[in-house]
Amino acid sequence: MENQKKYWRGLEELNTSPEFAGNSKNEFMEGLPLDEVLNENSSTFGLASNRRDFLKFFGFSIGAVALAACNKTPVKNAIPYVVKPENITPGVPLYYASTCGACAAGCGILVKTREGRPIKVDGNEHTFNKGATCAQGQASVLTLYDNDRIKSPLIGTQSLEWKKLDADVASQLKAIDGSKIRVVSGTINSPSTQRAIDTFLKAHVGAEHVTYDAISSSAIIKANEESFGKAVVPSYDFSKAEVIVSFGADFLGTWISPVEYTKQWVENRKLNKKKTMSRHIQFESHLSITGSSADMRLPIKPSQQGLALANLYNRLADLNGSSKIDVQQFELPLDAIKNTANELWAKRGAGLVVSGSNDVDVQILVNGINTMLGNYGKTIDLDNHSNQRKGVDSNFDKLVDDMNSGAVEGVVFYNVNPAYNYHNLAKLSSGIKKLKLSVGTSYNMDETAKMVKYTAPDHHYLESWNDHEAKVGHYTLTQPTITRIFNTRQAQESLLIWAGWENADFYTFIQDTWKENFGAENFVTFWNQTLHDGFYIKPLGEATAPSFKGTVKAEAIMSMAKAGAKDKLELMTYEKVSMGDGSQGTNPWLQELPDPISKVCWDNYAVINKSTADRLSLTDGDNVSVSTSTHKIDSIPVLIQPGMVKDTIAIALGYGRIDANREAMKKESIGKNAFAFRSSYNGHTNSMTADVKITKVSSGYTLAQTQTHHTIEGRNMVKETTLDRWATDRQSGNKNAAHIVSLWDAKDYKGHRWAMAIDLNACTGCGSCVIACQAENNVAIVGREEVLKGREMHWMRIDRYYSFTDKDKKRNSKEKEIAKNVDDFENVSVAFQPVMCQHCTNATCETVCPVLATTHSSEGLNQMTYNRCIGTKYCANNCAFKVRRFNWFRYFENDKFDFNFNNDLGRMVINPDVTVRSRGVMEKCSFCVQRIQSGKLSAKRENRALVDGDVKTACQQACPANAIVFGDRNDPNSEISKLFYNDREYSLMTDDEKESSKEYFNTLKSSMNDVELSNVARSYALLEEINVKPSVKYQVKVRNRKDDTIKDILDLDIKLAKEAEIHHAREHAKQGHHSEHGAEGHGKEEKHGH
Amino acid sequence: MANINNHLNISTKLSIKELTIRMKISFRLLLVLSAFALAPVFTTAQNVEEGKKLFEANCTSCHQVYSEVVGPALKDVDKRRDEAWIIKWVKNSQAVIKSGDAYAVALANKYNNAVMTSFGSLKDAEIKSILAYIKTAPAPGPLADDPSKPPVNPNDPKPSDGANNSTMLMILLGLAFVLGLTSILLGRVAVSLKGTLYTAQPELAPEERIGFWDGTFWPWVSRWNKTVATISFMLCFVFLYCYWGFGYANNEVGVQKGYAPTQPIAYSHKIHAGQYKIQCQYCHSTAEKSKQASIPSPSTCMNCHVAVQAKEKYAGKISPEIMKIYNAVGYNPETKKYDGPQKPIKWVRIHNLPDFAYFNHSQHVKVGKIACQKCHGDIQNMTVVYQKNTLQMGWCIQCHRESKVDMANNKYYEKIHAKYKALGKKEVTVAENGGLDCSKCHY
Repeated sequence: MENQKKYWRGLEELNTSPEFAGNSKNEFMEGLPLDEVLNENSSTFGLASNRRDFLKFFGFSIGAVALAACNKTPVKNAIPYVVKPENITPGVPLYYASTCGACAAGCGILVKTREGRPIKVDGNEHTFNKGATCAQGQASVLTLYDNDRIKSPLIGTQSLEWKKLDADVASQLKAIDGSKIRVVSGTINSPSTQRAIDTFLKAHVGAEHVTYDAISSSAIIKANEESFGKAVVPSYDFSKAEVIVSFGADFLGTWISPVEYTKQWVENRKLNKKKTMSRHIQFESHLSITGSSADMRLPIKPSQQGLALANLYNRLADLNGSSKIDVQQFELPLDAIKNTANELWAKRGAGLVVSGSNDVDVQILVNGINTMLGNYGKTIDLDNHSNQRKGVDSNFDKLVDDMNSGAVEGVVFYNVNPAYNYHNLAKLSSGIKKLKLSVGTSYNMDETAKMVKYTAPDHHYLESWNDHEAKVGHYTLTQPTITRIFNTRQAQESLLIWAGWENADFYTFIQDTWKENFGAENFVTFWNQTLHDGFYIKPLGEATAPSFKGTVKAEAIMSMAKAGAKDKLELMTYEKVSMGDGSQGTNPWLQELPDPISKVCWDNYAVINKSTADRLSLTDGDNVSVSTSTHKIDSIPVLIQPGMVKDTIAIALGYGRIDANREAMKKESIGKNAFAFRSSYNGHTNSMTADVKITKVSSGYTLAQTQTHHTIEGRNMVKETTLDRWATDRQSGNKNAAHIVSLWDAKDYKGHRWAMAIDLNACTGCGSCVIACQAENNVAIVGREEVLKGREMHWMRIDRYYSFTDKDKKRNSKEKEIAKNVDDFENVSVAFQPVMCQHCTNATCETVCPVLATTHSSEGLNQMTYNRCIGTKYCANNCAFKVRRFNWFRYFENDKFDFNFNNDLGRMVINPDVTVRSRGVMEKCSFCVQRIQSGKLSAKRENRALVDGDVKTACQQACPANAIVFGDRNDPNSEISKLFYNDREYSLMTDDEKESSKEYFNTLKSSMNDVELSNVARSYALLEEINVKPSVKYQVKVRNRKDDTIKDILDLDIKLAKEAEIHHAREHAKQGHHSEHGAEGHGKEEKHGH
Repeated sequence: MANINNHLNISTKLSIKELTIRMKISFRLLLVLSAFALAPVFTTAQNVEEGKKLFEANCTSCHQVYSEVVGPALKDVDKRRDEAWIIKWVKNSQAVIKSGDAYAVALANKYNNAVMTSFGSLKDAEIKSILAYIKTAPAPGPLADDPSKPPVNPNDPKPSDGANNSTMLMILLGLAFVLGLTSILLGRVAVSLKGTLYTAQPELAPEERIGFWDGTFWPWVSRWNKTVATISFMLCFVFLYCYWGFGYANNEVGVQKGYAPTQPIAYSHKIHAGQYKIQCQYCHSTAEKSKQASIPSPSTCMNCHVAVQAKEKYAGKISPEIMKIYNAVGYNPETKKYDGPQKPIKWVRIHNLPDFAYFNHSQHVKVGKIACQKCHGDIQNMTVVYQKNTLQMGWCIQCHRESKVDMANNKYYEKIHAKYKALGKKEVTVAENGGLDCSKCHY
């Protein structure tokens, strides 16, 4: 298999660094320090051990055990409710429909509560996020239980009474002239909150409301105002787009409303209903998950974005016959811009061009392009627009100026944290200091709370009432799922009180708003229904195509392009999927979620291209100082990232919240704040700057990077093909010549047989499943130090593989690849593959466990019984997929791991149906067996059959890309049984097996149409050749790409398939004559397979 | 060794089973005989039986035949009012009161206008059979014990018995030890005395010194090698000790069988479930829905105890135990208002499973249709609740191996039932249906 396409997880694997080679030999990166313990001279363990010491320790241990055993069994109490709330049944979860408050996208959610405490956030299937959530939304429940939340109203950092605070604030507001008062908030898409703010403004005549988004879409709003007279962010519909072209917009990961967009995008990427898929072309600078999932990804420097768009505009103008703009000619390799233009032109009205730029001229250009293509009213809807981003940067810039000049004297910071995420901190802090009154409503001790005079802490969103209109006509409600934990108050009530209201009750306030909006008639029924459902969707009007009135300014585009001359180093900031704008920076789940691309946790870093790093003589582990004209970071680690564009440095936002973090988190390295690298450009906060200096300051820093952990010896786990090839040959990319012999007896599953299928074509690597799994299964956080040792506990990892894409088709050996492609490290193909316990039918771990702690269930689960496990770790050694995790420490009630498991409040998030594992036991994915059991039990109680979809695993439920399907293989009506149908599997069976499963296979086959059969032909199991028969199948990734880059692998496939055929024919002939020679023949053929 | 223990358990269980079977046979014989004897008296025995069931299911939470509970005692109710009135009343008492019926109004006034639940779903015939039962219901025996006093029922195996037993055993063992020591000492004394005697008068000394193993005491080992004999005996001892130790660790450590802690309120299941026959799930209402059967909140107690105050036993004062409920919910019996502070009751948990074992009541009660008594013992006879069974895994498994899954009556099992039928299997135990999978209880 020398000439097979090479997948690699990191440069160390590609180059086989000695460290990587060493680690890949060991299942556990660090062995036991036996030598040191046994060495009498070692001082580390203080065991200058000899026989006497051994006896002493031995005796002491026995004595201690005997003494400990004398403890009486503790008396446990059971305390029932004095008056049991009517709808609470102890032991049964209760769900509340609500709206996610993790970002302004406002996805509908269902909050799972147990005995009055929320423990899990799941998506609402009826809102635009269609049942999915993102990693940040999943993790938001842990932010509720942050022990460092503000526990009472504060003056400075001293607590005071609400009455006193209200009196102080009211009197000081009265002393300030109304026109000098401002309310600063993030995007408000809540009609009632807006009304509360308006009430406040009315009470202080002349006061104004400023919307400030940490990461805004300010340029889109302004561009739409100039182009169409509508100052809004439009609604995009990626599901209607057949050609998607994105210029730096990470719409699957972080851009505006990623869950909504992923759901739309994946409709045209799944191949279960049709044999076509959309074409997705991404022009971007740093490798985002959107770029990773694109069919074509073209690296461009941030400064070139405008130029590239302008050239695309001109190409389209050529085709359209309209006037061009006067810009420099610019083309990318493979004539990418020209080809993109042609593809867009061919699909006029079914295309979509988006840009992540915050430059208003660039956005006008994008509007012009979409107008030319006739996309308005089809894939872009300005009438039923989005309310998810409303902030206009220049307004806040002006406010900061006004604060400094004295034109503003009193500011209420409504749940915003500019003291962390504004780009000009010095100016802001001097401005705040000059204020006569500064009030914040932060719910945790963030940077702004530390800077303002008064803090009136708001509830967490899970404790609050609120309403939302995230998109026009799309109303959702937020309702409290727990009584307030600390002495906090809903910020809207604070505003009303400061507006002079005596009894502010935001709940009735919302109802009043709704009565106004929807009429008071039958209100109670309407309200109760909406509250129960969590949403109310008004019938929407038809989207229209407005006429374009904007002017494209060629000079502006050119000046931007000139600023970033060739070879000049540029700096850009970007959002990570896990951390976003950093508002949940204190959340350890998000901190430990490996970034989908770099696989680094607990840090941000300067991302740099390999060739640029070589030019600057930098390497992984170096710390550099980065400085621009506005800001300087003294020391930040360097990360060489394949796929990063040359001559550009990218630094993630959202890190470096040292001020806000508690001691335990401070111990961990939590990166550097990069917000100050941004600057105002044309009134919008720009994320790039073309003038940057970078100097190496030290070396030897190791990032907690999980990319090479749990590596699988270079075996190919990912399979892929192209759309064209798959359409003609459905087995394309999935031909396997594994000759299967089995040592195990066939198993009989009479009842259910649980299985999972993962579509590599849909998976975007966003990490939502990882956090969902963590929340559902009480997975421990281990911290940076332990991650460095390869001891992360996530039951699910998303492997990210790189491979090359380039013009050169001759890549016969790895050496050649490296030599040829040093330059091309800016262009790699990426494939994501979530890997969890494969629940093998012939599980290798089960065979080696000496205490039967891991066994096979009658429903096909590979069960892990913690109370039996004695921690030999044999199972992990013997697992082919490296999915078993060992508890090296007790991660709860342990000061060494001071995360949420170490305090009472943080432990409230624990799912009571899942055991919290202790030190010394192995754990792994259980297929959410607690959900299986409860799904079955519900069916039994209700005296009905279990239906497909009754049991959903946490990862499946959270997935925004519908990549995960779970169900009962033995139910021929289930989706999963179809995905497990496989001609090949049937052909490999013995005659007896064939006979017994003939009916099953035939029923399945006849129930599927051609598209479905083609779809399931993509199914494959990992490492089929070792015949462990996993209960998880993957579906071959299909790239909508016309190039021939994966021709080699396909040729090989055909060759192997032929070999297999010959082998089978021979086997059959042999079996006819001497059956006893069969085994020998198998042995020989086995070697061929590898 | 675990197997040996299991066998022991089985054999004791079998003997108990045998005993119960014999008792059952004699009991049935008695029943049959009495039925013959009473046949002429109870012509409507069927109705009475049905009425009893209905009475226990619907009425007992507020009514008793012979004593006043929340509502009046129902003895002779058929003499006080005619059948038609009673049926009307049971179906909708409020309507009867509203119609201005003098008796009804007086009755309502007497019971502080407490609203009686309407049983519109009961058929006339069913109400009649309840009345038939009331007519024939036997008078209760002597009043149950005062729950605040220690239980006196000799049939209650009390944990203290166990303690007494073990104390007795300890005393006996101590005595045995002392006696053993004394005899050894005396033996040594005798030996040294003999020694002295033989040195003084060697002619008295026996020809040969007899070793420990050569004496008449061990005639059958005299032929053995002495070292082997010593080692064998020591091994036997070690083996027995280990056997006992393993058994102890296996069956005693962490096992709370017989655990009967003192509860904050001396609540008697014997009175409520035994004497008044209140349905278990009236109070433990979530047993069919949830993994927990749940201890009722005191507000549930108030459904009855707002009226039931057991004053007759405490010289006209409210029972101090009932007062504890009032204190918990903040009820003032004088003003009849809930105006005090609420104080949750800290019950002591008796049945504790380790955190890594998942148990779901609804699976067993609702789906498996297992009676509470199967695991909790004769709860209706317990004045103080104690843990009847070991709650060890072996005990769970035992039941899973023996119990049959009722596949025919639950649509959930339709498919698998068909498969078993096709295989010619009529009965499937829980174990055969995956009931021994680790992940059924451990996750």
